[in-house]
Amino acid sequence: MSAAIELVGVSKWYGGFQALKGLDLTVAEGERVVVCGPSGSGKSTMIRCINQLERHQKGDIRIHGQALTGEPKRDAPILRETGMVFQSFNLFPHMTVLENCTFALSWVKQMPLAEAEAIAMSHLERVRIPEQAKKYPLQLSGGQQQRVAIARALCMAPRIMLFDEPTSALDPEMIKEVLEVMVELAGTGMTMVVVTHEMGFARTVADRVVFMDQGEIVEQAAPEVFFSAPRYDRTRLFLSQIL
Amino acid sequence: MSDAPLVFAPRPADPPPPSTIGVVGWMRANLFSSVPNAILTFLGIYIFYVVVSAIVNWALVNAVWEAENRRQCLDMVGRSGACWPGVAAWIPNLIYGLYPKDQVWRINTGFLILIAWAVPLWLPRVRSKVAIGLSLVLAYPFLASYFFHGGQQTLVWTALIALGATAFAWTWLTSLAEMRFGLGFGPLVARLFGAADDERARRIGWGALAALYVLTFVIVSQLDFVEVQTRFWGGLFLTLVISGIGIAFSLPAGVVLALGRRSEMPLIRVFCVTFIELFRSVPLITILFMFNTMLPLFLPEGVEVNRLLRAIVAVCLFASAYMAEIVRGGLQAIPKGQYEAAAAMGLGFWQSTSLIILPQALRIMIPSIVGNFIGLFKDTTLVSIIGLFDLLSMSRAVGEDTRWLGLFIEPFFFITLIYFVFCFLMSQYSLNLERRLGEGQRR
Repeated sequence: MSAAIELVGVSKWYGGFQALKGLDLTVAEGERVVVCGPSGSGKSTMIRCINQLERHQKGDIRIHGQALTGEPKRDAPILRETGMVFQSFNLFPHMTVLENCTFALSWVKQMPLAEAEAIAMSHLERVRIPEQAKKYPLQLSGGQQQRVAIARALCMAPRIMLFDEPTSALDPEMIKEVLEVMVELAGTGMTMVVVTHEMGFARTVADRVVFMDQGEIVEQAAPEVFFSAPRYDRTRLFLSQIL
Repeated sequence: MSDAPLVFAPRPADPPPPSTIGVVGWMRANLFSSVPNAILTFLGIYIFYVVVSAIVNWALVNAVWEAENRRQCLDMVGRSGACWPGVAAWIPNLIYGLYPKDQVWRINTGFLILIAWAVPLWLPRVRSKVAIGLSLVLAYPFLASYFFHGGQQTLVWTALIALGATAFAWTWLTSLAEMRFGLGFGPLVARLFGAADDERARRIGWGALAALYVLTFVIVSQLDFVEVQTRFWGGLFLTLVISGIGIAFSLPAGVVLALGRRSEMPLIRVFCVTFIELFRSVPLITILFMFNTMLPLFLPEGVEVNRLLRAIVAVCLFASAYMAEIVRGGLQAIPKGQYEAAAAMGLGFWQSTSLIILPQALRIMIPSIVGNFIGLFKDTTLVSIIGLFDLLSMSRAVGEDTRWLGLFIEPFFFITLIYFVFCFLMSQYSLNLERRLGEGQRR
C-alpha cells in the first residue's frame, strides 16, 4: 500500500531564512499524525507545503504516490485529495453556512445545487450544526465556525485532512466541541495530520506524534512512548513547558 | 427555619424622571445642557434663520415668475428677488443643449429605455439579474448611441444596434417569464414547443433568441434617425452621457487595473502602476487639455477624433485610475486567509477572485466607490473648459442671451439644485445598498 503523504528532503526558505531543513516524513493511509513543536519550528509551514499554500523549493512531496510539480493545473486534482482546516476558520463571511459548504461543490465539481446541498447537510449533521445552515458565519460562535470549516472541507470528499492549529483561536469550552468532532472523524479511518498543542488529543487519537524544532523533525514516536520517554532534551523541555 | 434558599424577586423598574425623556428631555440634554451651550444654540438658530430667510425671500417671496426679459424683472423687484422666467425659458436648453427640438424625443426615449432596462434588477422573483445587468452595461451603449446620434446605418452598425434592441427585448421577456412562470425566456419557449430533453430545450431557447434577433434587425434597419452631431449635444444630457460612460467604464477598468497592480507578473504590474500613478498625479483639467489639443498632433493626418469622444476617453482613463486605487484598498482589506481557504478547496485564481474576494471587497468599498462616482459626476463640469456645452456652460449661456443679459445667479442656483438632487440620490442609494448587503453579516 502506498503512503498517503510522502515528504522527501523538503526544504523551504523565506528569503535567506530556512524554515524547513530537508524534512523526511511518511504518513500511511488512515494514519493519524499529530505535529507539535514551539512556534517558529516550521510545523505550519510543513502542513501548508503539503497542500501547496506555500511552495517548497527543494525536495519532493507525493500524495498517494503522485508527486507535486508546482504547476497549479497539474497539481489541482492531486491536491483535491486533501482538505484543510485553518486556525482562523477562514469561512467566507458573505455566504451562509450552507453556501460555504456547497460553494466548491458547485464551482469546482460542477455539481447540481440540490445534490450539493444534500452533501453539505449530511456533513453539517456530522459536525452537529445542521440547524445553523441558513445563518452567516459571523453569527456563530468560534467553535461552531470551526465545525463549519471542518464540514466545508469534508464536503469535497478528501482522503486526507490537514488541521493547522484548529483550536488555538478558541475559548476552552469551544475547544472541546471541536476536538470531539475531530475524534469522531479519526474514528472513520480518515488520514489526518494535525498541528496542535492539545496533548490530550494527541494521547487519545494519534498513532504517532512528531516533534519539530528549528525546521527539523527532532523525534517521532507513538504517543505512549513520546510522552513517557522522550529521547531528546529539547523534547523534554518542550513537554515540561506545555504539560 | 429550614435552609430553603431565599427567593430573589427583582424589583419592578421605576419610570425615568420626566425631565430626561421626551422632547423636553432631549432638548435639555442636547441644546441647553449649560449656559455656553444655550448661547450657542440661540446663535445657531439665529444664523440658520438669517441664511434661510434670505434665500427664501430671494428665491420665492420676492421672486418674479412672469416677465418677457431681464429688464422687466429688474424694474419690478430690482436685485432683491430672483428672475425665474429667464431660467424657465432656458430649461429645454439646460437639459438638452442645442439638440434639435423636433428630435428631443429621441433623448427622452433613450433614457426611458435605460430606466426600463434597469427596472427588472429591482423586481422580485427575477433570477437572471446578473445577466440583465451585464446586458445593460454591454449592449445598451449601442442602442443609446444610435438614438442619440442617429445617422446612416452600415451593416455592422445595424447589427450592433439590433444586438442592443434584442438584449432589451430579452431582458423584459425573460423578466416577465420569470415573474409569471418562474422560467427564463428560452426555457419557457422550449416548454411551449414541448422540448423532450435538456439539449433540445437549449437549442430551442437559442433558436428563439436568434428569431428575436432577426426580428429586431429588420425593425432596426427600418429606423431612419437624422444625424445629430455631437457638437449639438449639451446641457444635463451631455453631463449624464459623459458621467454615465465614465461611471460604467471606470468600475470594471478599475478592478482590472487593481488586480494588475497586485499581479505577480512584472510586465503587467509595471504597466498598471505606471498608468495609475501617471493619471493620478495629473489634474483632470490637464488631461482634458492634453487629449483635446495635443492628441490630434500625435494622430496621423486625416484621422479626426470627435471632441466629445476625446473628453469621454480622458474622463474614463482618469476615473479608472482613481477607481483602481479604491479597489486596491478594498482588496487589501480582505484577509489572506480567504485566498488560502479558496485555494485549499480547489478554486483557481479567477474563481476565488471573482466569487470570494471581489464580492467582499466591493461591499466594503461601496462608500468610496459612490463617493468617486459623485466626484466624477461633478468633475464633468470641467469639460466646459474644452468647449463642450455641459450643464454648467449652458447655464452660463443664459446670461449671455440678449434677452436675459447678466442673468447668472438664477441659472447657477437652478443647476445647483439639479446637481444636488443627483448626488444626494446617489449617496442615499449607496447607504441603502450598504444596509441591505450588510444584513446578517456584521459581528
